[in-house]
Order: sequence, then structure tokens, then C-alpha cells
Amino acid sequence: MRGERTRGEVRAESRAFRKILIANRGEIAVRVIRACREMEIQAVAVYSEADRGALHVRLADEARAIGPAPSRESYLHVERVLEAAVASGAEAVHPGYGFLSENAAFARACEDRGLVFIGPRSETITLMGEKTAARREAVEAGLPVVPGTLEPLGDEAALAREAARIGYPVMVKAAAGGGGKGMRLVGSAAELPSALARARSEARGAFGDDRIYLEKAIVRPRHIEIQVLADRHGNAIHLFERECSIQRRHQKVIEESPSPLVTPELRERMGTLAVALVKRVGYLGAGTLEFLVDGDRNPYFLEMNTRLQVEHPVTEEVTGVDLVKAQIRIAQGEALSFGQRDLEQRGHAIECRVYAEDPEAGFMPSPGRILALRTPNGPGVRDDSGVYEGWEVPVHYDPLISKLVVWGPTRQDAIARMRRAVTEYKVLGIQTTLPFFQRVLRHPSFVAGDIDTSFVDAAFAEADRDRARGEAVRVAVAAAAIRAFRERRAARLERSGDGADRSAWWDAGLREAQGWRGGV
Amino acid sequence: MRLDALAEGQTFRVEVRRRDGGYTVILDGEALDVDLVETGDHFASLIVDGRSHEVGLEKRKDGYRVHLPDETVTVALAEAARGAPRRPGRPTGPMRLTAPMPGRVVRVLAEKGRDVEPGDGLVVIEAMKMENELKAPRRGRVDEVAVREGQAVEAGALLLVVA
Repeated sequence: MRGERTRGEVRAESRAFRKILIANRGEIAVRVIRACREMEIQAVAVYSEADRGALHVRLADEARAIGPAPSRESYLHVERVLEAAVASGAEAVHPGYGFLSENAAFARACEDRGLVFIGPRSETITLMGEKTAARREAVEAGLPVVPGTLEPLGDEAALAREAARIGYPVMVKAAAGGGGKGMRLVGSAAELPSALARARSEARGAFGDDRIYLEKAIVRPRHIEIQVLADRHGNAIHLFERECSIQRRHQKVIEESPSPLVTPELRERMGTLAVALVKRVGYLGAGTLEFLVDGDRNPYFLEMNTRLQVEHPVTEEVTGVDLVKAQIRIAQGEALSFGQRDLEQRGHAIECRVYAEDPEAGFMPSPGRILALRTPNGPGVRDDSGVYEGWEVPVHYDPLISKLVVWGPTRQDAIARMRRAVTEYKVLGIQTTLPFFQRVLRHPSFVAGDIDTSFVDAAFAEADRDRARGEAVRVAVAAAAIRAFRERRAARLERSGDGADRSAWWDAGLREAQGWRGGV
Repeated sequence: MRLDALAEGQTFRVEVRRRDGGYTVILDGEALDVDLVETGDHFASLIVDGRSHEVGLEKRKDGYRVHLPDETVTVALAEAARGAPRRPGRPTGPMRLTAPMPGRVVRVLAEKGRDVEPGDGLVVIEAMKMENELKAPRRGRVDEVAVREGQAVEAGALLLVVA
């Protein structure tokens, strides 16, 4: 982190935590543990049966089992997480993102048991978590919003009428939604019924709430968000924007800061709007306001995420502010140790989300054992990972395994550095989005900063890969053939007593390959 | 040792010979001097004509997946005496739709006897918190539905057959 801002002064009403329970898993749990360690706070991990060997459990000071693999019986189980927190003697709970991070009932239950929930007050989560209520607050605070139904609608006929009134294309969205779940773009009335059915089912599964609302779809929108921080002493600031337009299935895969689209005037305007909403709702802690920005640079407020974002590191890299430590200090009752004027965006940061997904097969999930792992290093590279070599990526949770983040003095430097880092990154045994990033980072539209949320679909619609170059293919064939040759010799030496079987190396290889795949 | 290789849609006749401090690999009659050292259980460093290549090698059923710095190449291998590795043919006959990953069947969109067009949704599987709609790769008629909604499936499990 560059030039981290700390002053270390503690107000009279604040108290330093000695122990924090992290109600999450994967890379974000590791991220929070690292902040705790640097602040000399004990970190308590929780884990499901599938995660006993997970990295966050290995790195924590204490670890507590909270139930079976399915999230609903472990990481989403309010009572079990609370019991673990109370039993461990933690004073505070960091929820990470996803899981219970935007669950107002969980935040309230923490408050009721004397645990500090590291996030906004439970009332604020309720208010901003109800997307239509959040839109009303935003309108009151002077923020422009996308035309749509301000209320969730229960019956399909009413939704169809509203869609016709707003005009297609429309976005179908879950009232309790986030992270692209329960969200569908609908081009015509004919597509509406099946889109509604799938959105409701996904929303029910993800949030236990299948209420749906509609918004007019902005054509070729940019997805740009503003990071905010607010303390208990009335200070509210923004930490500029993140560009999140590179998405697949409405989920972000590459983020950067600054946005190549945002002008100083637009940045100032969006930042001022964000702080206005934060002040209106009495926000506390770290949060993010998501905006769609159209081709004429008009921002429309979409929603507020009342938690840390996956992509928070790009903001950390350009501002030098450690957002997790800032969250913890705010929760301890401290005042922000810097003001809006102390902040600037320095250089450029990019994040690539390394998912266990197969970009050659429509980003299908690719869980399984990580056979070998080599991570990039060197100047300006940060790998926020939640996995290790030999770890089996479970099928039960989100497929994010790591966030690769780079910083460079300019956008072009950062792109070149990210290409270099992706080249160094090797994950064997499962498919990942890394090969896809190589293609995006070389795409002329990406390099020019001419991107919108349809970029991935538009640029990579067909067979999602380039044919490897001639020389690369020859090197690959040579490497494979020599490997086969060596394995055959090794198998021969092993069996030299009973006469070398011509195909022993091959059979041995077959057995090995089948073993890794759990027996075919 | 002589091998037939198939990579990126191209076939190669390959011969590997040991030589001093390395290997000679003859690819379709052209000899390459390759210096290879293993740099980990699944990694090797190759120097070919002075160019350095660090590769990851992942064993597959019929060869290797080779990770190069900028791309990944799947190489199918067979000993020359056993005949060339099979080229993936054009799909004909009944098409068996199988689960690409372990997960849970959340919806079956096609019933037996229904005619389907390419791209029609057939089955929705939830895995890693995402719903994945599996689509018909070609025109046909649903001949068999092997799963029901709510059922957990392993990777490779038969979901349905399109004839």
C-alpha cells in the first residue's frame, strides 16, 4: 500500500478491538485477517465442513466450525455464526461481502448481543437493501435514477404492463438483489415470462426473497461506482470512482480506477452526489454507490452496496487508503484521520478476478483440486488469493479464487503490467479466467478504454479463444512428447524385473489422470 | 519413441530421442534440439534454439494440457503403433447431454418427445451459486430425460438425450 494514512489518534468514546470474528471465507476472509494481523487484533475464522483446510482457517489465530458445507447451514446461518462470535470472546464481527454482509437481521442480532457489526447500522442496511426504497432516498437526495417501477410487483401481468409502459429493453431485477443474481435483460415481451421465472428462482435461492422490479435498460451503459467512507462523527467522504464495465453474466470480471471515461467534472459531480446520499441516510463505514453512465456521460444511480466490495483493492492502490482498516477504525468509534482534500487518485490500478470457470465453455464453473499454483510477483503486483496448491475448490461457494491487482503510473503502464502478471500466473488442475484476461488485455477496444457492459458478449461472442500460434503449438507438442518419453522410461525402470511393458508409461499415466479426476 | 500428436486441430508425427544433455524432437521430419529440465512436479523449463519457455504440464486421459506463458494447448498423444489419436468428429446420432460440473438440477425445461432447435434451453444446473442453462447444440427431439428437478448430479452425469 502506498502512503497509508494513519494518525492513530483515538477519540475518548472509541475502544480498540482485541479480537474480531470474520463471518466469511475465501479471499475476503484472508484479506480481513491480514488487516487484523497488522493492527495486532486477534482474528477468528469460521468454517464449514468443506472448508476445514481452507486458507482463511490456516491463517487465522482461532477457528470455529459452524456446520455443513451448504451456505445456508453454515456461513448464512445467523445463530451459528453468532454463537461462534460470543464463544470466542470477539468484540466485533466483520462480515466481508456476500453471505451475511447485507443481512439487516444479522447486523441487529450482533448489536443485540453487544457485538459491534463492522458496517452500517442495521436500519441503514434495511433501507438501502430494499432497492426501491433506496431509489426513493436517492431521488430525495437529488440523485438521478433510471426510469422504472419504484416498487416490486408481485404479479406477472402487472410486470408485463409496466414493461410495456417503460418500453423494452427492460432489466428484470430482484428487490433484494446484488451481484448480478436474479437479474435479466429482456429484449421483448415474448422473453419476459421465462426471464421472470428464472430471476425469481435465482432470487429465492440467493436471498430467500423473490420480489422483482423493473428498470429501463440503458443501451451500452458503463458501470461506474463511487467508494465512500463515513464515521460516527459526521464526516463523510468519497474515494473516487471504479470502472466496472467489463462484465460477464452481469458480474464484474475486471475493474479499474480511475475510469477512462470519467472527466474531472463528472468525478466531482458523482462524488458530491454520493456524499449527499451518505449524509442523508446517516451512513456509517465503507459503502459503494453504483451508477450506470450513458454515452453522453449522464450518471444514473442504481443502488448502494452497504459493505466492502470485491474490487476495493483498486481504490486502495490509487488512494493509499486501507479500506478494511478504515472500516475497523470507524467501527471502533474513531474519526476519519483524513478529509476529502487529503485524497487524490495517484496513478492507475486494475483488478482481474480469477474465477474457477472455463472461458472456453461459456464461463461454466470449474471446481476441483488445484494441482499446481504459481503466482505472479514483482513491482506493482498484488495477489489477494484465498487458495493454495493442493486445495480443492469446493462446488458449494462462489468460484472466485483470487484477485490479481496491479498498479502503474498510467493506464497503459498498468495494462502492460497486468499482461506481464497474468503471464506469470499458473493455475493447473482447474480452468480459470486467466486465458480470457490475456485476450481482453490485448483487445483494441479495451486498450483504448472504449468499453461498456456489453463488451465481453460483443467481443468474445463466438468460440471464446484464439488459436495458439504455430511456434507455441510446436513447443507444446515437444514438451508433451518429452514428458511422455520420460514417464515411459521411468515406468520401465520401475518394472525392469518383469520385462518392460511397451505401454506401461501410458497405462500409468492413464491411472494417474483418472485418479486426479476422481475416477472416470 | 514415435508418437502421433494432435494439438489445436493439427496432427504431428513426433519422434523423441535422447542426446547429450537433452533431447532431439523430430516434428513432421524437422529436428528440434530441446534442452528440458523439470522445474517442479508439473513444470518444465525448455530451451529451444536459445528461446526459453517455462511450461506447466497437466496430465489428461490421452495426453497433456500444456500451459505456456500466453496460452494453453491441449496435446493428445498416442504411440505411433496404436494409430493416430482420434480427431473429434462432427456430432452425429443421438446427442447425450451430460453435466459439465457437479451441481443441482434446478429446472428441466424440455420434456420427452419435444422438438428442440439449436440454442433452446434444456436443463438448468446450479453450481457455485450460479444458474447455468444448458442449451441444445443442434436440432432434434428429446428422446430421454434422465434427471428430475432438485436432483444433485456429478460431473459427466447423463441429463438427457436428443435424437
